[in-house]
Amino acid sequence: MIEIKNIHAGYSKKEILKNIDCSIAKGSFAGIIGRNGAGKSTLLKVLCGLLKPFSGQIFINGHDVYASSKKILSKTVSFMPQNIETNFPFTVEEFVMLGRYPYMNIFKIPSQKDYAAVNEVLKFAGADVFAKRYINELSGGEKQRVLIAQTIAQETDIIIFDEPTSHLDIGSQADILNILRVLNKKYGKTIVVTLHDLNAAGEFCDFLILMEEGSIRNTGHPEKVLNYKDIEQVYKTTVVVKTNPMSSKPYVIAVTKENRV
Amino acid sequence: MEGWTRSGRGGAFNGDYPVRKRCFLPPLQKGELTSKVWHQQKKKGIILNKKIKFIVFFIMPVLAVLVFIFSLKAGAKHITLFDAIRALFGIGEESVLTIIRQIRLPRVIMAVTAGAGLAASGCVFQGILKNPLADPFTLGISGGAAFGASAGFVFGLAALSWIFIPFSAFAGALIAVLAVYALSMQRGFNSNSMILSGVIISYIFSSMVMLLFSVSKTNHIYSAFVWLMGNMSVFDERLLPAVVTIVIIGTLILCLSGNIINAVTLGGQKANTLGINMEKTVKIIFLLTSLITAACVSCCGVIGFVGLMMPHIMRKIVGGNNSVLIPASALAGCIFLPLCDTLSRTLFAPIEIPVGVITSIIGGVFFIVLMMRQNRNSI
Repeated sequence: MIEIKNIHAGYSKKEILKNIDCSIAKGSFAGIIGRNGAGKSTLLKVLCGLLKPFSGQIFINGHDVYASSKKILSKTVSFMPQNIETNFPFTVEEFVMLGRYPYMNIFKIPSQKDYAAVNEVLKFAGADVFAKRYINELSGGEKQRVLIAQTIAQETDIIIFDEPTSHLDIGSQADILNILRVLNKKYGKTIVVTLHDLNAAGEFCDFLILMEEGSIRNTGHPEKVLNYKDIEQVYKTTVVVKTNPMSSKPYVIAVTKENRV
Repeated sequence: MEGWTRSGRGGAFNGDYPVRKRCFLPPLQKGELTSKVWHQQKKKGIILNKKIKFIVFFIMPVLAVLVFIFSLKAGAKHITLFDAIRALFGIGEESVLTIIRQIRLPRVIMAVTAGAGLAASGCVFQGILKNPLADPFTLGISGGAAFGASAGFVFGLAALSWIFIPFSAFAGALIAVLAVYALSMQRGFNSNSMILSGVIISYIFSSMVMLLFSVSKTNHIYSAFVWLMGNMSVFDERLLPAVVTIVIIGTLILCLSGNIINAVTLGGQKANTLGINMEKTVKIIFLLTSLITAACVSCCGVIGFVGLMMPHIMRKIVGGNNSVLIPASALAGCIFLPLCDTLSRTLFAPIEIPVGVITSIIGGVFFIVLMMRQNRNSI
């Protein structure tokens, strides 16, 4: 259970999040959608304890995030940033091992248990076939799998992803989101994810938060949030919202300027 | 897959979650997650972990010992290998004993220590700054030491006592480190701003060295010049125990913290969510590394390229994992610098070339070759 209470947050003097107030239920697959600069990534940072809000509080299972120790937080919430600069050639295994750090001693020397965990998550994320390769020579989809493996190696109950599917083709995108879905449905993890692709958001998430200029416009299940009125106002364009015949989830298509009615 | 129990201590947050006893991710059914066939994607570039460990922890120490003995043997006066080893244990003629134990041994020990310290700290700088160009030079530490030592020579401190030159060099290095640190911490830690301020500070110091030279006496300039090019012979043996202690303890700590430096390379956001206090960690490691470097350069002068080149070579061999790379680089330094020092003594004997000149020439050629090879591969 994540409770966000009257959050105002931002960088140095600029306020980006204005009075955010919502809660994400335990075991839900929550998606945060909105335009570029609407404050999605900022909200994620506030959620995982990276950016102290100006005012307001965040409670995870009833405990204030900014009043508790980093060690406990790192065993409860894990975060996958949009991209990680890797200038140096780590192998995939070594890279995933970094996700086990909350469980290691002061010099972070891995134990047998950590090796077992890394093998397991690599297998889970389908990254075990390239476990020995260097991280900087992988393709985008493979890299994303490795990042996910690293994030779930942290063994937390709440996992936060910042745009895990940007720059991926539709197949890799579906692969990645299916991994998240299995994590959510089969292992009961609470997933929070920001997405740019409204169709993917409608298809995979079961709770959506629509953000507009630093505040929440609408929250709820996809059928409720993805209505053309809200989408058109937030994204300032004309769209058509239809229902996917196979999954009966909503999908959104933009309309060209000359064809608008 | 035999399961493993949940290792989390079930901290405050996990209150209303069920604690899973066994394996948290049982094996998946075939095709549950993937729409592609991943198994066809095996590529080259796999280096086995065991092979790397064998290279680092067996071959390199053996090489280091061999180089150590060879450096004792080689020199202006001809001494056989057997005599050199015997002299090391205090057996043999008086004259050979004196040469080996009082002249060559301290010098080789200094070279080994400085090599290890410079290479390990170069590797750590590259890791925490996430920039493969970082080293004591680009961070201004060597520049500060050069300025301190030059000031010591020019103001005639060298004539007063042996201890002043290393001390003024050490002080100069520390001033440079603090200046770089203060400059780059203006708006929080950022690796680019740190390297930029290092380059700026080192330019300022080098122009100050020139300023000092232009207003001072010739004989002072000459001795300062010899120091500036890096030389194992100018240091004083009385300083050896202190420097060796600082460098060896520091390097051991750096070798152990390789895994932490790995996490730092992930960047602030990820490292922080892994429960690591990024700023504090970087601060401690940076200051420790600077201390090691300052101790090295204050004794044997400005020796370029060791801190830059060793990590690069070793990264090609053992990969980027800092927990292996840092000890590997340190060992490479232990091998490389005594060899260069031996060359500097023997190449044009009895004239001695500054060891800094040799390392820089080798380093420069090495980087040209590296660049050309990389260009060819990329085409």
